[in-house]
Amino acid sequence: MNLAPCKLNLDEWDDRYEQLRQNGLREPGYGGPLRRHVVRENNFRLEKLQFDNSPAALRLWNFLLTENERLYQARANGDKIVGTMKDLGTVPVMAYALPGVRAFYPDGAWWTPCLMECGDHLLQQEETMGLDVSFCPVRAMLPAFENGEHFPKPDLLVCSTGAVCDDFSAIAQRLEHLGHSILWWEMPRRRQPAAGETACALPGNLTAPKCQVDCVRTELQRVGTALGDLAGKTLDDAGLAAGIRVANQARRLLDSLRRAVYSAAAAPLPALEMLVAEMLAIHFCSDREETIAVLEDLLAEVQLRVRQNQSVINADAVRIFWVNPVADLRAMNLLEELGGRICGSDYMFTHALDLIPENLPPLEALARTALADPMVGPTASRAARIVRECQAGHAEAVVVSRIPGASHCAREGEIILEIVRQKIGIPAIELEIPPVCDAMLPTLGSRLQALIEIARARRQG
Amino acid sequence: MDVFLSSPWIPAEWIRAHGLQPRGIWSADNYQPGAWPLSAGVCAFAEATVRFAGAQTNSAVIFSTACDQLRRGFDAAMLRGQRHSFLFNLPATWQTTAAKEIFRSELERLGQFLLAIGGREPSPEMLRQEMVQSNRARKQLIESASASTPRGFAEAVARFHWDGVFLPPPPATPGNHIPIALVGGPFLAPHWKLLDEIEALGGRAVLNATETGERSLCPPFELDAATRNPFDILVRGCCDHIVDVFQRPNTRLYSWLKPRLASRHVRGIVLWHFTGCDLWRAEAQTLRETFGLPVLLLEAGGEPGVAPRELNRLQAFVEILK
Repeated sequence: MNLAPCKLNLDEWDDRYEQLRQNGLREPGYGGPLRRHVVRENNFRLEKLQFDNSPAALRLWNFLLTENERLYQARANGDKIVGTMKDLGTVPVMAYALPGVRAFYPDGAWWTPCLMECGDHLLQQEETMGLDVSFCPVRAMLPAFENGEHFPKPDLLVCSTGAVCDDFSAIAQRLEHLGHSILWWEMPRRRQPAAGETACALPGNLTAPKCQVDCVRTELQRVGTALGDLAGKTLDDAGLAAGIRVANQARRLLDSLRRAVYSAAAAPLPALEMLVAEMLAIHFCSDREETIAVLEDLLAEVQLRVRQNQSVINADAVRIFWVNPVADLRAMNLLEELGGRICGSDYMFTHALDLIPENLPPLEALARTALADPMVGPTASRAARIVRECQAGHAEAVVVSRIPGASHCAREGEIILEIVRQKIGIPAIELEIPPVCDAMLPTLGSRLQALIEIARARRQG
Repeated sequence: MDVFLSSPWIPAEWIRAHGLQPRGIWSADNYQPGAWPLSAGVCAFAEATVRFAGAQTNSAVIFSTACDQLRRGFDAAMLRGQRHSFLFNLPATWQTTAAKEIFRSELERLGQFLLAIGGREPSPEMLRQEMVQSNRARKQLIESASASTPRGFAEAVARFHWDGVFLPPPPATPGNHIPIALVGGPFLAPHWKLLDEIEALGGRAVLNATETGERSLCPPFELDAATRNPFDILVRGCCDHIVDVFQRPNTRLYSWLKPRLASRHVRGIVLWHFTGCDLWRAEAQTLRETFGLPVLLLEAGGEPGVAPRELNRLQAFVEILK
């Protein structure tokens, strides 16, 4: 059965799933109706979301929402589990280069309160563990570690530190105090090479002094040794180079997907599915090969829709560049309901989207990629990329979404917005989106509406 | 030229050896967190540093990466056109050679900056002399810490961070006070009133472990007349003795506190932090669990001095400890 691209709510997806099944839908082992994630895992937020109606999107959601099962299964199969924190994209490339090792981000627990509409009480438990509501929702990770209900206890915990968010660093430190040993590795604050210093090119059109690249490489070497010890096999250059090639395969697919969706006259895939797809880049949702298959499916669907001039969003939707991930997934639907669409994004891990250089020694390449993290360098350099991508994607407005309590959000928004206004003069606003934003919907909605109206009015001017 | 330091872990000796005058920014008369309209979550200390930097015409400001707020405060200062600012990358880790290497290269880079703003090339002998002098003052301050009046000691440390001079703080009068430790971030002159309040309530801050108190004083570096390369000793001395909440792991902070809390018979901890300081606020529970002592969080907001609400909380805390 073929259906024009559209968005469906969960009830509609129940019918759609049944029809797809009757028409011979073939799914991977983790497949099934989306409804089961509500019934079995209490992911009540799904009942408030709008989803793309394609089998490719169904696969994406099922892949995302079965990660914990996958990790427990991997543990049962004897795989080693690495919890890697904060670096968003680098250490997993190393971990997956070793046989029998799976890496995941416990940081990902920050979406659990959203998905479960706080029914898990993780945030409330967190308060009893010493971190109150004034900390970023990533604090949900701490009780998730303690109650063991959301992911298996990792065999090794790795966390980057230095030029990272204070709230995350503080939460991770608290985790260590509670008895979870952490291998900390230093991420210096990236800076421009000074006159006379040897400069290294980084992904994302960035540069850093060689001494910083050397430092990160040395630190990653230390992480690599720990990973090798865990796996019982040395992480050698050949293995790492192979791991980088596979990671780049996923990154190339994502790049093609982003180009196809963000540059299309009318969006062929909704913002929410794009956000989830981009998230796959950071640790492959605990299955590298399946990530590639999921992305291939999505890309094929998008290419088909583009060829057939099909879209899920009206062609006159206002093109928005979105900065930072949203604590509540519902916000991405909201934007589209109000007449916007995403034409570019910086969800805090653009370095996980850029290709890892394959013409360098592998650890050097990874060090350069890690240093290209938009969160470890000057905010102005993050803003410069945002400006470039706004121009490339013909953005008509920018939204910087604040993460409640996140230390970087205290300042970066004003800096980014100021630079965007100076350089390209398009309307831009900052919004704060809590893990469950229902109570804020009128405020968020009216702010977004105002932005969209102003951007639309500029078309006539 | 004055060079204002936003962290006590950037060695003042290095600035002095370049012929410039290091100043602890928190001791400057015109450095005061004010009642500004702050964006949600912005730390008043970081904002004050940004504003202070923006107001300087003939001096430099050294930011540090000890926290996200200062790190990004530097970004804001640069955006506002402040060019006599420098961001010193203080490594968070401390158990590796990479961390020491970062510290060393940052000192070298700072040296280049100091030369660019009018400093002179430091000779090893100049640096050695500055280190000897600073060693002596720090030693005297550390030795006087437990026997001085809390306010006098705070003033003496501030003076040391201002011009490197040791002025003996007045000795404390013995009495039956409730011993309290003050632990936390920058504790500025307008906040010293808190020390008087503690005394008036029957307590005494027997340990000032704030960023501008006893904790900011590295033990004297191992230096003698035969030392050929004082720079190496400076790097090692600083790296080995930074004791702060931003370090990972931050076990050094606890190792430093433990013997002092015990030897001074501390019965309660006041955790002093600026609004929005995640690093310190997150330690409250760990401090309680580690030392089994009651911990009171007191918050420095945007207003100058100590807010009445905070004083009220302090009164209740001391009363409970009686």
